[in-house]
Amino acid sequence: MREFSVSAGGITVVGATTLVFVNPAAAPSVNLEFLRFWVGQSANATSAQQRVQLETQATAFPTLTAATPTKLKPADPNASVITGATTGAAGTAGINASLENGGTKTAVWDDAFNVLNGWLHVPTPAETRIMPAGFAQGLGLFLPIAPATLTNWAFGLAFREV
Amino acid sequence: MSDDAHLLIGKALGRTWRRENKTESYVVIPPALIITDSDGATWTLGTEYNVHMEFNVLRNDVDMGEFASRVEYRAGVLRIYGRDGWRTFSRNRRHFI
Repeated sequence: MREFSVSAGGITVVGATTLVFVNPAAAPSVNLEFLRFWVGQSANATSAQQRVQLETQATAFPTLTAATPTKLKPADPNASVITGATTGAAGTAGINASLENGGTKTAVWDDAFNVLNGWLHVPTPAETRIMPAGFAQGLGLFLPIAPATLTNWAFGLAFREV
Repeated sequence: MSDDAHLLIGKALGRTWRRENKTESYVVIPPALIITDSDGATWTLGTEYNVHMEFNVLRNDVDMGEFASRVEYRAGVLRIYGRDGWRTFSRNRRHFI
């Protein structure tokens, strides 16, 4: 299996924002099975509840910082079909959106967590979310409400190409 | 950044995590991401897994050689749950019993 992660740490977010956005490539290509999502605040945090959401977003996609997926298995000779880009376009990934750009978002998973403990979502195999190639929508890890403290966020997701 | 001497400082996900207090009792990974114990160590689950969908247990980003589906902190004791049932992190901070 070819598995990759897109993650970042020590990030200052702008408010209610997309933390990670991965858009499957145009068909024909591999589908993306999302295995894990996490959010936490590494700085000395003050107890507070924070909403988090997984959402799909159609164009217009967010404006992001480009992030290239990292191999979970370093010996894998192949890079991911997903590349880093700022546009959120098909076949790309990015982090920490500066603009959401108004594309229709559809919440597919809602949760909340205490920032002292962070949030780790590991779906069972039957619950994993698969974004098919050519879907024309990306999957985002999204903070729907601005956090009380904007600095030192760590977050990411892991996916498998299937 | 200068750190107060009393701050609990650990590592997880390749980052340094700072907390003023250890994690509250009954916090469980998942859905929590990290647990900070009274030593300041930061616990989380890694991305390696076995056929039972248990993940490797990390303490300060060091693989403890154990797989578990849950990590729980209760009354100052860290426990993991897997196919062998509940096991407790030893007082000498070396292994699970």
